[in-house]
Formats: sequence, C-alpha cells, structure tokens
Amino acid sequence: MARVGVFVCFCGANIADFVDVPQVVEEVKRIKEVKYAIEYKYMCSDPGQAMIRDAIVQHRLTSVVVAACSPRMHEKTFRKALSDAGMNPYLLEVANIREHSSWVHQKDKKAATEKAMDLCRMAVAKSIANEQLHEISVPVTKRALVIGGGIAGIQAALDIADARIPVVLVEKSPSIGGKMAQLDETFPTLDCSQCILTPKMVDVASHPYIELIPYSEVIELQGFVGNYVARIRKKASYVNFKTCTGCGACWQKCPVKVPNEYNCKLDKRKAIYTPFPQAVPNKPVIDAEHCTMLTKGKCGICSKVCEKGSIDYTMQDEVIEREIGAVVVATGYDLWDPKPYEEYGVGRFKDIITSLEFERMVSANGPTNGVPVRPSDGKVPKNVVFIKCIGSRDEAKGIEYCSKICCMYTTKHTILLHHKVHDSHAYVFYMDIRAAGKGYEEFVKKAQVDTAATYLRGRVSKIYKKGDKLMVRGEDAQLGQVVEVEADLVVLATAVTAPKDNPELARLLGISYDKYGYLSEAHPKLRPVETAKAGIFLAGCTQAPKDIPETVSQASACAAKVCGLFAGDTMKKDPMISTVNTEYCSGCQNCVKVCPYGAIVTDEVPQGHGSKEMRTVAKINEGVCQGCGSCVAICRSMAISLAGFTDPQIINEIVSI
Amino acid sequence: MKKLTYFPGCSAHGTSEEFDSTLKMVLKTLEVQLEEIPDWNCCGATSAHVMTENLAYALPMRNLVLAERLENDTIGIACASCYQRMKVTKVHLDANPELARRINSTIVEEGTYEGKTAVKSMLQFAYEDIGLEMIKSKVTKPLTGLKVACYYGCLLTRPKDITQFDSPEYPMSMDRICEALGATATEFDYKTECCGASFSISNTEVVENLSGKILEMAQESGAHAIVVACPLCQSNLDMRQPDIEKHSGKKYGLPVFYITQLMALAFGYPAGELRFPKHIVPVEGALSNIGKVVPAPEKVKKPTKAVEAESEDN
Repeated sequence: MARVGVFVCFCGANIADFVDVPQVVEEVKRIKEVKYAIEYKYMCSDPGQAMIRDAIVQHRLTSVVVAACSPRMHEKTFRKALSDAGMNPYLLEVANIREHSSWVHQKDKKAATEKAMDLCRMAVAKSIANEQLHEISVPVTKRALVIGGGIAGIQAALDIADARIPVVLVEKSPSIGGKMAQLDETFPTLDCSQCILTPKMVDVASHPYIELIPYSEVIELQGFVGNYVARIRKKASYVNFKTCTGCGACWQKCPVKVPNEYNCKLDKRKAIYTPFPQAVPNKPVIDAEHCTMLTKGKCGICSKVCEKGSIDYTMQDEVIEREIGAVVVATGYDLWDPKPYEEYGVGRFKDIITSLEFERMVSANGPTNGVPVRPSDGKVPKNVVFIKCIGSRDEAKGIEYCSKICCMYTTKHTILLHHKVHDSHAYVFYMDIRAAGKGYEEFVKKAQVDTAATYLRGRVSKIYKKGDKLMVRGEDAQLGQVVEVEADLVVLATAVTAPKDNPELARLLGISYDKYGYLSEAHPKLRPVETAKAGIFLAGCTQAPKDIPETVSQASACAAKVCGLFAGDTMKKDPMISTVNTEYCSGCQNCVKVCPYGAIVTDEVPQGHGSKEMRTVAKINEGVCQGCGSCVAICRSMAISLAGFTDPQIINEIVSI
Repeated sequence: MKKLTYFPGCSAHGTSEEFDSTLKMVLKTLEVQLEEIPDWNCCGATSAHVMTENLAYALPMRNLVLAERLENDTIGIACASCYQRMKVTKVHLDANPELARRINSTIVEEGTYEGKTAVKSMLQFAYEDIGLEMIKSKVTKPLTGLKVACYYGCLLTRPKDITQFDSPEYPMSMDRICEALGATATEFDYKTECCGASFSISNTEVVENLSGKILEMAQESGAHAIVVACPLCQSNLDMRQPDIEKHSGKKYGLPVFYITQLMALAFGYPAGELRFPKHIVPVEGALSNIGKVVPAPEKVKKPTKAVEAESEDN
C-alpha cells in the first residue's frame, strides 16, 4: 500500500495570496494513499527540507509530492532531501502550483485553489506509480573542438591545451589569425596587433596538445555532451602540406592575380597563396576558382617550380571524423556592407572606404606600405572625415544595436592618421562617444588633444563630389547648424555583424541564434559562455560584438568550462530515458525517424526463444537519449516506455481528476 | 495599343502645359492610348494632408475610385505631387481596409474602392511599362552631344516604402531614358535635393538658395541642360533662374526640359511644336550641342600580358 506525503508551500505570498493553501492541504488529506500532508512558508528552506526528511522516516512514506514552484527551480533541491532521508530521489513529484496556478490566476482565488488541488491530486496519483530510478554514468571523450581560429579560438585552444586536454582547432581559411591579424595597432595601448598575436599563432602550431586543421569546415556534429563526433571537411588545398616547405617559389611565379582578401581587395594576391607572410601554417593553397590549371587546364607553372613536388592538382575535398567531448564556437564576425548609404555615394565614390580598409592602408605590411592614400588617384589625403555608426544604431538601414568597438578604433585611426600624415586633419562625425573600458576614456581624451581632431556631434546627411574633393554635409547638433567639410578621404566605421554562416552552423550544432545571427548564450547574465546545449560554448564576437580584451576573457572562460566538464572520467545523466520492450516491438522504425537526437538504432533479436530466425527491433542509445518522449508517442505497438513518464503514471494522473 | 488611365493634375492645364502636350505626343509614338479620368478632382496637395486626414485621403480616393471604372491596369500621373498624394493614399488604403472603409463612406456615392489599379508616375510608367528598348526603337534624331543633368526632386522616388520605384537617393531611371535618347547623363549628386518647392510663393529666398545650389552642381557636372519630370521643379529651376543669377552673380543659362520634351525631340517632332517659347531660360544654346561630335577619351591600352583575373569591384 502506497504511503504518500504531500508538502504544500506558501512561497511567501507568491502562492498563499492567490491559493488557499490550508484548504489544499485539507483536500489532499482526503485521498486515501496520502498519509501525511502539511503546509509551510518556504518548503525549499532548510527547515522546510527537514520537515520532508523527518516525515519520510516517521510516516514510512513510499513517495513524496511537493506542491510549490516549477520543477525547473527546485526539483533538484527536493530530490536531494529525499536522498538524504534514504529514499530514492525519483520517488518525488513536484506539483507546480505557482507558475501554473497562483501566478496566472491572480484574479480568481477560488479557481486558483481548485486548480492547485487538481495539480496535487495528479501528482499524488502519478507518484503512486513512480519507480526507483538511478542516475546513468556516461564516459567522456576528453578532447575539445574549437571552431574558428581568430583570437577567440586561439586563446580558447591554448588554454585548454595547456591543461593537457587535446584540442582540435578547425579554421575555414588557409591561416589562423582572424580579423586581429588584419589590424595594425590595438586600442587603447597602441600595441602592434601582429606583434602580440603571431607568437600565439606559432604556439598553436607547435603545441603538442593542439591539432590544427586549417582550410576546413565542420559539416556535422552527432552525439551529446562528452561524446560528440564531428565530421570535418578539409577543403582541397592542392598542396601537400607534409612535403611543402613554404619556400614561396610557387606564388612568386604564379601568373594569375586575384583581389587580395587579406588587404580588403586593395591589392592583388596570386592564385596560389598564403594569406599573409606570418600565416600559420605557412603553407600555400590554390584558389580553385581562379587557378587556370584547375579551371582551364592551362599553366602548371607552380608544379614545375616546386622542388618538393608538393603540388597535386588532383586533390579532392576530404571528410574526416574526430571524437570530442565539448565544442567552443568562435566564428568571429563580419562587417556590414555600407551599400544602402546611397546618399553618401557608397559604391560611386572611390575615396569612400571602410575602417578595415583604412586599417590595412596604415598597416606596415599593408598594400600601401603603411601610408593612407586615396584609391582614386593614389594621393596622400590631408583632410580625412571619419563617420561612425554606419549601419550600427540605424533601424532604417542597418541594425539597432551598437557595434561597441567603432568609437575606440576610430579614435585609434585619428591617431594613426596623425602619425602617418603629419599635416593631416581628422574630422569625426559621431552620435555618442562610447568609451567604457579600462583606459578607454583616457585614450579618447588624449587622442583628441594630441591629434587636434575636430569632433562633430551629428549625422552626415549627404556626400557629393566637387572637383576631386568629397563634400561631406552633416549636422553639428551642438551648434544646431548644417556644416560642410571638404574631404580628401572618407572613412566609414561600418557595423559589426554576425558571420553570415552562423544560422547554418547553429542548425548543424543544434544551438540557437538571435534575430541578427549571433549565437545565443544560455543566460545573458549568469551563463554568458554556455549555450542551451550541454557541452557547447561560445567565445568572441560570434555571440555579440566585443573588443579584444573581452574576447580573450570569454575564450579563457570557455576553456575553464571545458576543463571543468572534463574533470571526471564519467558524467552523470538523468535516468529519464526511453527503453524498448523488444517483445512488443514490430520493427517499424517510426521511432528512428522521429528521434531528434539520433538516439535510436536498430538491433537484431531471435524471432522466438531459441529461434535462429532473426527480426529487427529498435534499440535506444542511453547516452544519447534526452527523454523527449517523441518515440513513445509514435510507437504503434506501445513498446517504448519513458522512465519517469510511464503509461501507468500518466493514466493515474488522468484518472485522478 | 496599350491603354493607360491618365490623371493630368491642375498644373497640366497651366504652368506645365508643355509637359502635358509633349507627353501626349510621346505616348502616341510609343503606342499608348490615354484615357483621362472623367470628372477628376484636385489631389489635395499640399494643403489637405496637413489639415485633415479625411480630406487628405478622400480627395485622391475619389480619383482612384473613378479611375477604377475605366478598368485599365495603371493610372499614369504627370505631376509628381499628384502622384505622391495618390500613391500614399493607395498604399495606406490597401494596407488598412478599415481606413479604406471609413474614408470610402464619405464619398460613397462615387462607388466602392477596390484598389485594383496601379498608381505610377509617368517616369515610372515609361521606364517599367514601356521600357528602354521600345523608347530606343522610336528614336529618329538621337540627342548625341547633349549633356543633361537629370533632376528627380524629392517626390518621384521618395519615400521608398511608398513609391517602391528606383533608388530614393541616387535614382537612375531618367538618366537611362536620356541615354536611350542618345544624350549623355552627367554624374549629378544633387539629383534628389530639395528645390524649395512651394516656398516659391511664400518665401522665395529659400527657393533661390536651394535651387541655386542645384543649378550650380548641375553646371559643375558639365551639363548643358537640366531634365525634370515634375512641374514644380521645372518652374522653380527655370522661372527663378534669372533672379538666382542676379542675386548670386553667377551665370548658369541652364534650360530646364521636361523629359517628354526631349523624348519628343528625339522621336522626330519638330522643335517648333514642343512649346519651347514657354521656357524662361532660352533652350537654343543647349540644343545646339546636339549632333556635335564629342571626341572619345583616349584609352590607354594595356600591354596584353599573362592571364589576369580581374574582379568586378576592383
């Protein structure tokens, strides 16, 4: 005979103001299996939990019902109370009379009380059929996958690998380094970006615990936390990296010139190329779209000049698999295309460039050897107008959010301009100066004094051409006047946007993304690096725009999370999973089709006892099953049962009301 | 023969009479038959829509209801301002059936609004429904040598959500039509700047200032003339030009043509029929450029070296 204890919580005023708790207790006492029922102000408090523990022992309870808040809130707390009293924790049922009754029926106390009673009756009835369940232990593959080789991915990979955990770092372009490798100097200290980044890139390549897979993309992720299998497509590089020494003979002789992505297409690279001199790995790849040998079968010069015979025009894409336990996603960001700013003549005027183009020009290894020039005539500009918030904070043309880094890098650009062209003058059109960060405000103030740049608070409404100058017309909101500035060069601080491939990546990883395409964290404040899917973490701008210090911090946080996850040899998992009764299973495999986790496979069992004839049945991989119940619903022969939600439990609930 | 419902607007019978008459010539050549909306009324611009919502919608709506009786696909509107009021009304009424019902109840005796006729400016109709190929095929006297600055003003392509035609900031449809006629359209950054509009009457100084800048930029672009498709733009730029010149001390001498006048000229109509004497700024100087051979800029020939993969954006 079942002996159920019911514990009804006031939750302070949260429940008690709208549900007549003592009446609920009186009502449940009338159920014959209920041997004990009591109310208390805060069931989750220590005295509340003690009441449960004592009652279990004193009244020899066989199951416990707590009528309180959502099980998402305190199910774990109460399960632990049961354990502490020597009872199987899965003999607990939670009746959610707060979110499901008191909070949503605040205008009708009588109805809320009745609903709370119903919820309690259902929980009691269900608990009578509860069975003892035990946590499942799952082995863990202690290897991490890092997607993206920018500064976020590099930092995460190094930190994880330094903890002697193997890392697979997948980068889609031929070299790691990301956007940071394109920067000249970094705010607010004006450190040379390359000087602080390239040692880390070299560390990645030489680290014994890091497997670097460049020029590759993750195309599939199967499994679950601790036991993922990633499929990675290695794009054909047409160069054998094992024998190539990176001598450079091939790209020196290659006759095909292609716009150079690394320099924002301001100059040309060859069809066989390394993106930049400090590339890691420093091995070239052939751009199959432009190589005439691959497109037309004519040329073959690189193969002739390669002393090692490393060129292989027949190379194909290759798909490899890696078993991993956790994933860090660090796919970085894209920059917004300012084309919609037609009133500025974007696309018509060559002397309007983006900030990253300016950054490449002022870089010592850039297309103009570190001197900014006008793309139209190659002249060094004197008057340069910087316009911030291009696409950012612009609901009409761009996106609503602030891109966070533009105020600071534009300040940096005024300094770099001042350094490179001494008699130049910078004008900055801005909406606000957002300089929150260590040393940021000081940096802006100092730059304004040192460069004597003219800051104009207001938006630019039009740019037009007068002779070879660009006339920039905008508002000086502080003077309340329209101003026109004659510019040699205009630099647009374009918005940071999510990588365009993020939605597709999110789908294949099974994580969520927001309306802009940024990958979503599990909680905006308290779980900023986790995703909603266990074992997948986010670092850097793929989650939201951020600067380098913040990106590096988040990457290290990811590494800490991964190390924590891998601290034990096994992981505990809730036992609420499906099981197949092979006696009833007809082998229709409908469950295989509906399982969203790929947790169901097929198995062969003998037709009958001692029979040699075999038949197909479904088999659940208990490590993969998440207990969603889809297979239970689709099963025609009622052969599948979900622990904790068995048919007798559900039917008891229905019959009780 | 294509049929087009026609809404001339009040200026077609007065200040822009030459727009109306050349439009009719051009459309005849382009095999379009005009059917004027019977008993059309004022579109309400610019007083109605700043006064009452009901009047702002009811005036154009009556025209739209009358136009629907003619059962043509499209209404072509000559005046940019009339076009604006009619299109705003159509877009708002179509998106909001409740509003349409309410406004319709005030003009119930005219019939029920169904929203089945498209509303287009004559520029849009020429560009989208007639097409450059057709226009080109009718050209008998190409305007080669004439350089024009195409001025769209504020209403033909803006606001974008209402007009749903061409670029709101740097439109090119009129430029393309002028090129189809054989003329050269200059790169003209002031093509959508404000001309001062109806301040012409109440605050002429504003118009002289704003239109003055447009003239200056047009001249700087190397144009011999300005082309428009809006009666108010035409009158401000043409009629105020002598005063602008007097007050600024600069000389422009830029005639302001309706696009239909240039089309008619290129289609072979005699200049004497195109109502040029109505212009304040004489047109002869500009038109004398037609037929003059323009030397093509010498191209520097690149040595044909190895294969080079150029991308379009470079």
